[in-house]
Amino acid sequence: MAQFEKEIVQAILIADNNVWNFKPLSDEGSTALLPLVNVKMLDYALIALNRSGVEEVFVYASLYLQDIRDHIKAGIATYASWSFKMTVHVIGGEGCRCFGDAMRDLDAKALIRGNFILLGADTVTNADLRPVLEQHKRQAKFDKGTAATLVFKECSNNVRTGNEVLIAVDRRNDRLHYHQRLRTHQKESRYQIPLDVFLGNSCVALHHNLLDPQIAIGSPSMLSLFSDNFDFQTRDDFVRGLLINEELLDSRIYVALLPDTQYAHRVNNWPAYQLVSRDIINRWAYPLVPDMGVYKLQQQYVFHKDNIYKSHEAFVSKVALQENVVIQAGSHVDSGAVISDSVIGANCRIGKNCRLNNVFLMADVTVKDNCRLEHCVVGAGATVNEDCEVSGGCVLGAASELPAKTKLTGTLVTSTPSTQKIDELEGGELELESLGPKAFIISDLTTGDPEDSDGEDFLPQQMLSIPKMGDRLALLDEISYCSDLSDDDDDASRAVTPLADDTNIFLGEVIDSLTRGFREKSNPDFLILEINSSRYAYNMSLKEVNFNVVKAIFGMQTIVEPANNNVLVAFNAAFKQLGPVVSNYIKTEDAMLDCLKALEDVCEENPLVREKISQVVHYLYVKDFVSEDAIQTWYGQLEEQEHGHLRQRLAKLVEWLDQSSEKDDDDEDDEDED
Amino acid sequence: MTNAEFQAVVLAAGRGTRLPEVLGDAPKCLLPVGPYPLLWYPLNLLQQHNFSEVIVVVLEQEKLEIQSAMENTPLKLKLDYATIPGDSDFGTADSLRYIYDKIKSDFLVISCDLVSNVSLYPLINKFREHDASLALLLFPSGFEADVVMPGPKTKHKPERDVIGIHAATQRLAFVSAASDCEDTLNIQRHLLKNRGRLDVYSRLVDAHLYVLKKWVIDYLHRKENISTFKGEFLPHLIKKQHAKRPPKTVQDTTSEVGVVTKNEDHVLHYVPHTILDQKISQTSLFNQSLSHGPYHGDVVRCYAIQAPKDAFGVRVNNTLSFLAINRKLSGIWNDLCGESHPLISPGALVKSTQTKEIIAADNAKLSEKTSLNFSVFGPNCVINPKNIVNNSIIMSSAVVEEGCNIDNCIIGHRAQVKTGSVLKNCIIGPNYVVEEGTHSQAVHLSNADQYMEIDIQ
Repeated sequence: MAQFEKEIVQAILIADNNVWNFKPLSDEGSTALLPLVNVKMLDYALIALNRSGVEEVFVYASLYLQDIRDHIKAGIATYASWSFKMTVHVIGGEGCRCFGDAMRDLDAKALIRGNFILLGADTVTNADLRPVLEQHKRQAKFDKGTAATLVFKECSNNVRTGNEVLIAVDRRNDRLHYHQRLRTHQKESRYQIPLDVFLGNSCVALHHNLLDPQIAIGSPSMLSLFSDNFDFQTRDDFVRGLLINEELLDSRIYVALLPDTQYAHRVNNWPAYQLVSRDIINRWAYPLVPDMGVYKLQQQYVFHKDNIYKSHEAFVSKVALQENVVIQAGSHVDSGAVISDSVIGANCRIGKNCRLNNVFLMADVTVKDNCRLEHCVVGAGATVNEDCEVSGGCVLGAASELPAKTKLTGTLVTSTPSTQKIDELEGGELELESLGPKAFIISDLTTGDPEDSDGEDFLPQQMLSIPKMGDRLALLDEISYCSDLSDDDDDASRAVTPLADDTNIFLGEVIDSLTRGFREKSNPDFLILEINSSRYAYNMSLKEVNFNVVKAIFGMQTIVEPANNNVLVAFNAAFKQLGPVVSNYIKTEDAMLDCLKALEDVCEENPLVREKISQVVHYLYVKDFVSEDAIQTWYGQLEEQEHGHLRQRLAKLVEWLDQSSEKDDDDEDDEDED
Repeated sequence: MTNAEFQAVVLAAGRGTRLPEVLGDAPKCLLPVGPYPLLWYPLNLLQQHNFSEVIVVVLEQEKLEIQSAMENTPLKLKLDYATIPGDSDFGTADSLRYIYDKIKSDFLVISCDLVSNVSLYPLINKFREHDASLALLLFPSGFEADVVMPGPKTKHKPERDVIGIHAATQRLAFVSAASDCEDTLNIQRHLLKNRGRLDVYSRLVDAHLYVLKKWVIDYLHRKENISTFKGEFLPHLIKKQHAKRPPKTVQDTTSEVGVVTKNEDHVLHYVPHTILDQKISQTSLFNQSLSHGPYHGDVVRCYAIQAPKDAFGVRVNNTLSFLAINRKLSGIWNDLCGESHPLISPGALVKSTQTKEIIAADNAKLSEKTSLNFSVFGPNCVINPKNIVNNSIIMSSAVVEEGCNIDNCIIGHRAQVKTGSVLKNCIIGPNYVVEEGTHSQAVHLSNADQYMEIDIQ
């Protein structure tokens, strides 16, 4: 026993492991030093380790090594709450490019002597990890191949921040058998789990409602496994590699669930940032709440009712702090402002009659009069001039300055044009749209989320945008995949026939996307993204996509049941907004035919459209969605018997087309080239 | 009759295709298990639970034989034999559909091959408690694990089910045969979403004991293309748990196929759901979840109960389990039916002094100077002196002459083992004569090709 008593509890803290999602703030400094409710994220992680009885921590940093080193030094010098009974070393190097590299480096340095706690700097938790560590040690005694114990936390199902997992665990010994990260962008309708997982074990529990806070207990062998398998880049690679090659590597992963009363969440993107801020303000993470002197051992805030935390030195005059607000020292809020669900850093100035809702201001931010800010993050030292409206998950980089009367939704703004890394963009087309001398819009598209690499190989070139904050964090609606849809025709065979089903679900999702896009007037590019991701999810061919997109437009509620039964007005409005989406798909002659065929289908279903079909086709022709040739070909293909009515209605239009083409026969070639 | 809460149906029309070696020409439900025919065990189970009348579904041509066999057992139940035509190839669901008229209330369905001492009350209470549509019983598998299958070595692959049960509610999520899946098991999202942990079991055996609502048989009656209960109807019903009432106005923008749902085909058409029921569920304080209505608004609810660890249960539907139950029967006899039923029938003539855990039926003649252990001796069988019989089943009217050593064998009806034979792990077919001095191991000896080996998986 003596040797165990001497063993000290060590921990590894990995900083900067999800840089991409916090653009543009991540370009300007370490994400580990990003303030979350006015305390840096690194400090939350260190406090969590301190509370779990850790005695020695290795903070592994790469890009902003010096910043982190300075911060730790400053923390120790000012007696930060984590600095007691815990030594903190900062190590790392520029050469480290991923989590796996960090682990290999740590293995090479041989600093870790026993079982250790592994944490990301982005984890916020009040959990006591000592019992989990004990469980891991017991397990390791019993099974020499124990490589790690992963810690999970139950969560609600409706929010997806990219940290949700589906795992299969052996009920007898808590061994992990299957691990699948749930996708953020779309819902899975079914999960395919290898049968052997179930047949090899008498009882396997499937947990679907789990959150992965990136907490793990590692055995010394975990580090050497990273060294042996140089293709392990992320922690997920490690988990997957071990599950696939468990016999080859002779290593096993176990699972521990945190009790209900303990809080744990990972802040790896803006929606998670919003969520965790809210949880901290609502005291779910107690004692990691603003008024408990997190980090600095002194009372910084006074806690008022409705979760309002106000510094003594904040000047708030005649302002309606509604609820869930944190205001740091030195901030000024002028009269007439209304603030709710927001965090305001030190020395901020908020002008008259501003409205702030779900806004996160870092230090030294100035918001001038009459601004409306909603669901956005403003970096340190930034300025928002008069009468701006910023919403929908905007992020303003440090020291940027929005000109007066700017209206932004869902964009990322940086202060200097040079911060964008060109190589990360597909095709290298770099367009920094300028809003002002100190405000440039940067593209937030990426080819595949580096964090979300869970072997979903069927989405190779899918463009994803950075997850943004939003009003509805419950992005996933309650669409119940009722088995009934497919059920009545498969009574004989139990296997659900996925084909007909998928097309319908796809169409349904496209309709949903378009309806929402139309209502919220969102950027057509995003709609195209959404449709494309649905397309890959349901494995639709291009032809089917063309067909269904057009069909979906006509399936929108506004067109199915237009106001005053005036389908043309509704149709016109829809195409005005969604035109770019359609033209993105309907480019070639074939696609135009698909589009017209879809119209054919729509006519069958919707008598209103049937009445006006010639006007609809004419409109599409005038707006260059379909070419004359396509209309002619289509018209030729319409069968006399089946589509007699349709032909009749279109006859006039086609005649007119014929005439006009005769007139400007010469111009036709030029037109085509346009 | 109709005022009882539950009716009971025993399905005894099976043909026993999985135990051709031992069946001979007798009905499956009359296979000897210890002193009684197989059918007696589920009936006895029902009797212990105070049932007084049971519907027994039998093949028409076997009815008389079964009837007379059951009259010879000390059973107080009133048996109502329902016959199904012998020439038709009825599945279990077909059988139930055939006796549709006889079902007047909620009912239990038991297969005739269940031998168990489990108490049914937890199962029935679960059924009552949640107003369930179906409740079924699960046993841990492995009753036969330590028994060596006699006869030539075959790849014996037991059929396995993969069963998903929600841990918090014991609701059944799915039951599917492992052989029906390919490499992966598809689990639909709604089975996991908002329902917490789903436990998936692969080593549980469905006891084929179901408690069912009356409306289920109405629904089954309608679904004429379903032929087997376990294989087809059960998964169907479990899936229907999540069925939603079809919307009144079918606004069909999404469906290209144009699914036409006839209302009377829909499962919810059959579920009695009165306005009173709705009001009760609205006003009731009962709820298992904070964020959802009780049972997620599901009207069809299927539950599974696992038998307690100390209970045992086995389905005698193949030769291996037949051998296993017979050999282990004397050890579990008291648990099964108490001391009132002697294992050595008064009519048996046991002169042997070296016996251990044996079961002897009426008129079995076990001579002196024999060593008989862990074995079962059928009616009218004869064991001559100087024999050693271990772990074996000697079926009715079989004769073992002198000086034989029989270990882990099944000796069929009216078979004869002549002097000096040594048999190990053998199956001797009915009427077969083992010649003098035969030494055999792990073979299946039978007359000509009287029975084909049917390989069912």
